[in-house]
Amino acid sequence: MDKMIIYKEWIKTRGFLLGALVVLTVLTAYTILNLSKIVELQGADVLWSTLIMKDTVLIESLRYLPVAVGCLLAVFQFFPEITRKRLKLTLHLPYPQGKMIFMMYAYGIIAFLAICSLQAAILTLFLRKWLVAELAGRVMRTAMVWYLAGLAAYLFTASALLEPTWKRGVFILAVTLGVMYLLFLSPVPEAYNGFLPWLVIYVLGIQLLIYCGVSRFKEGLQD
Amino acid sequence: MKTAGRIFLGLSAAVLILWLVPWLYNLATLKSYSPPFTLYSPVVHDFTYLDREEGAKKSLRFIDREGNVYGDEVQPFFYASLLHSRGEFPDSLDGRAITYKEAEDNSLVMTSRPREVAKRNPPVYLLMESVPVRMELQDPEDALVIRKDGIKVWNMASNKMLEDKTADLASQLSSCGFVHPAKLLAGNPSHRKEYDEGYLVTDSKDQLFQVKQVDGKMTARSFPQASGLGIKHLIITEFKNHATLGYLIDRDDRMHMLRPDGSVVATDVIFDPVKDNLLVVGDLFHYTVKVSDDDGEKFYALDSSDFSTVDSMDRAYPLEDEVNLCEYIFPCRIRFVSSDDGYVKPRIQDLSLKGLLADLIILAGIILTIRKKKASQYQ
Repeated sequence: MDKMIIYKEWIKTRGFLLGALVVLTVLTAYTILNLSKIVELQGADVLWSTLIMKDTVLIESLRYLPVAVGCLLAVFQFFPEITRKRLKLTLHLPYPQGKMIFMMYAYGIIAFLAICSLQAAILTLFLRKWLVAELAGRVMRTAMVWYLAGLAAYLFTASALLEPTWKRGVFILAVTLGVMYLLFLSPVPEAYNGFLPWLVIYVLGIQLLIYCGVSRFKEGLQD
Repeated sequence: MKTAGRIFLGLSAAVLILWLVPWLYNLATLKSYSPPFTLYSPVVHDFTYLDREEGAKKSLRFIDREGNVYGDEVQPFFYASLLHSRGEFPDSLDGRAITYKEAEDNSLVMTSRPREVAKRNPPVYLLMESVPVRMELQDPEDALVIRKDGIKVWNMASNKMLEDKTADLASQLSSCGFVHPAKLLAGNPSHRKEYDEGYLVTDSKDQLFQVKQVDGKMTARSFPQASGLGIKHLIITEFKNHATLGYLIDRDDRMHMLRPDGSVVATDVIFDPVKDNLLVVGDLFHYTVKVSDDDGEKFYALDSSDFSTVDSMDRAYPLEDEVNLCEYIFPCRIRFVSSDDGYVKPRIQDLSLKGLLADLIILAGIILTIRKKKASQYQ
């Protein structure tokens, strides 16, 4: 049954995942190409000086991509479930309901993390070619909060979609906007380092909203 | 799970409200206050501040603590070029002959802000050549990488460690008694300065050293006079007059002047680098040092020759007399960023009992209303 659920999620999202992978790869490659042009024309010294002397990590153009991927992945995965109350059918399958929901969003989280890990690995590989480990690490540590924002966007969007009443759905979206604003509040490199472990715990807590929405759906709440 | 979800959503919304609403309120009601520019005058031997009253803007007018009004001639060093262009630069001051060039060479300005001090910097520092071949300072080609096991010299273009320079630096530091890892580094790797003094560095035992690159070779020097100060912050100066090599802030926030010969002079200036702003404006005769925080400013006038205090002055900022509505609505305020550092983290401020009481009353009202509604549904 587990395999069937994963296969169902795969069918819903495969087109999007492929598209996201292509877009992410193209934009990452474009950013790397820009950096390599700078290295070619002015030398790697410029990258070092910029990273050391200025509040930048050189890959800021990629900062909102994980959020877009997280949001759209949740839409592609959960929007089909809420149209024509397909979720009702899903929940009536002979399988524990809690586990079913968990399998669904765990699939989404793993798919999201796989895409982001690939991007992070490509970026680290190229940055290490030009930069000492301490500077490449600074860039990637700064990007951690962008990936976390993507994960939060995925979980919040999923919980808003699974929420049966529109009023609470809008409320969840309002909270999502506030949290997104917090996660992109400071452009200073490594500004979130100390706060990041707490943010990870918070983002993992968003799962509760998904279960809450499903439970309200089972109770028959609707506008 | 349903209750946990409700609590999670409610808490998230509460935190966002406690953060965003007071922020918006402050944004709408905030009035900026800019204190007048103040300098110690070597002419009247008093602190004088720039008059910003209407009518005084067209010409520079300074007022001393007694209320006497002067023109820009009261600050002959700060406005040296202006006075020189008008042919009004004095030939002598306090019985000492002075020249315009002397005034120019001894004029210095230095600032320090908490945000810059508290910033999380990468342990990588650009390394300049202190004696460049073409006389003018060039952009750095190498960098110092601070690691637990030592300071490595890295070539930036090739992204490779320079084994020879690293070994050279390690042996130089070891002969000076340096104990790794390095704790603090202060330098100014910019070619927009007269000369380069490399970096002032403290080791794990708070001993002070200087590291620089001379003719492509690494050199290190120790400052035994600075040991025992418990240095918590360093500022390298590199001013045209070579009067100091740097400023050292000790564990008690006292500022010390490090002279190029390695001697250390304690001053009366108390400055907490992670809380206070620092402005130093120096001239041939005096240094005006301004230490400011959210509450006010403290000025010190130091003698340029021995850094002894000539005069000092306190100025408190005016208190806001407007009612802050937020303290009647919210039990506290949450801020995630601060002007004192670049970190994002929750900071709970402005705790208010009035706000807490108001919120408890509102909450009790909501609970009672819900209960009444439910009771009427069952009847």
